[in-house]
Amino acid sequence: MATHSAGDDERPISTVLIFAAMDSEALPIVEHFKLSPDDGSLFPLGVPWIRYHGCYKDLNINLIYPGKDRDLGNNSVGTVPASLVTYASIQAFKPDLLINAGTAGGFKVKGASIFDVFVVSDLAFHDRRIPIPGPDKYGLGRRRSFSTPNLVKQLNLKVCKLSTGDSLDMSPQDETCILANDATIVDMEGAALAYVSNLMRVPAIFIKAVSNFVDGEKPIHEEFAQNLQETVLKLQKVVAQVVEFINGKCLSEL
Amino acid sequence: MAPPPNEDGTTNQQDSTNDQHPPISTIVIIIAMQTEALPLVNAFELTEDANSLFPKGTPWVRYHGIYKGLNVNIIWPGKDAVLGVDSVGTVSASLVTYAAIQSLQPDLIINAGTAGGFKAKGACIGDVYVASEVAFHDRRIPIPVFDLYGVGLRRGCSTPNLVKELDFKAGKLSTGDSLDMTPQDEASIIANDAVIKDMEGAAVGYVTDLLKVPAIFVKAVTDIVDGDKPTSEEFLQNLSAVTVALGKAVTRVVDYIAGKSVSEL
Repeated sequence: MATHSAGDDERPISTVLIFAAMDSEALPIVEHFKLSPDDGSLFPLGVPWIRYHGCYKDLNINLIYPGKDRDLGNNSVGTVPASLVTYASIQAFKPDLLINAGTAGGFKVKGASIFDVFVVSDLAFHDRRIPIPGPDKYGLGRRRSFSTPNLVKQLNLKVCKLSTGDSLDMSPQDETCILANDATIVDMEGAALAYVSNLMRVPAIFIKAVSNFVDGEKPIHEEFAQNLQETVLKLQKVVAQVVEFINGKCLSEL
Repeated sequence: MAPPPNEDGTTNQQDSTNDQHPPISTIVIIIAMQTEALPLVNAFELTEDANSLFPKGTPWVRYHGIYKGLNVNIIWPGKDAVLGVDSVGTVSASLVTYAAIQSLQPDLIINAGTAGGFKAKGACIGDVYVASEVAFHDRRIPIPVFDLYGVGLRRGCSTPNLVKELDFKAGKLSTGDSLDMTPQDEASIIANDAVIKDMEGAAVGYVTDLLKVPAIFVKAVTDIVDGDKPTSEEFLQNLSAVTVALGKAVTRVVDYIAGKSVSEL
């Protein structure tokens, strides 16, 4: 769990950093909070990272996403860009709280349904296998999110465990590791963000909306594409509720 | 801009265009494991930073000093705060490379470390390779364009003179966050045409490309991936001896670099 000085728990949250991996996940949130784009001078010249910001009630909201790959033009998904942009943003904004909002694959067998939105309790990697005692745990990178029992209860949100990997598909070894992580949902950034936020001592919460089944009949990327638009709207609605709940509260009240 | 190489791949020195090609002044060497770093820290007589360049809470370590007129920095991601093991892998390596470039503005990055080698491609224990290309093998995204993005293929900085003069092997490096290798990993590594396999290179390459800093990758083989011995065992057995060989190789690289510009490498 991320550590932070005890005093911080008792003053209201002021600066929030929201990370999304894809523009499709980010932009509905930007629109809802009417955030303004940056002029591009914040991050090093040439990096595609994008920041929107604005005030909402008592909160300074910064929303970041890694942007389009410079050579290939696709959204810069996965653990490496997410880690970099989050590290740089935490340094720049010193947020009181990080919110990772995104889509995820769900396991039917674990009771996930398409369009479900979860608050994540535990995160781990499933594609960093280092079979040496000690390094094995490091590879797994098991972490808890910042505990928000009141938020979960008030907003009536489901809670589950998340497993992270850099692949959209799932090999048999990935599946074994995901099951060992006891995950209901999988994504491509969460556990990396938990690592960075822990390193930088920023509490982090993770809101994930299920866009596709991992153990379903349809090919993952097809189902993902089909449901993306509706999923990101569901995600935006819950993120809006979460931000509303957070407003005016300190960390210990979450 | 440098003229095309000679037929044997070497390039000539540039006298008239020295202003466009200033000598390398500051180098950053990214090394994932303390065992890999210490022989070099000793060879270059570097000292550990007392007041860290890096944010409080990060375990990242910088060793630095002047060696043959170069500002030499060795950056090691340090030990995991909870588990006490080296912070290996792509996430740590990318973060520490980014932070080092931001703070130190190096002219050149060297990612030095150990690697697994494929005997079918001619690798032997103790071989030192300079990677011509780096790519990932464990980021499979089977959608057009995303697939290429996941592989993240990048070229190392071209160093034909260095490779020839120091008699290193050249080959392609494949990177993944696991020490072991699944059939899917193997298929991707073969598709990457890699002779060596590590856990950081392509991630360092991603950051150096993003920030436009030339990078070279120097990897010493500790274990044969397509051999009989289990990787973890063979790696641990050979680690000590191979890090000595790696240390000697990187020292020769830095000796070679001193006084030259990137285009002369």
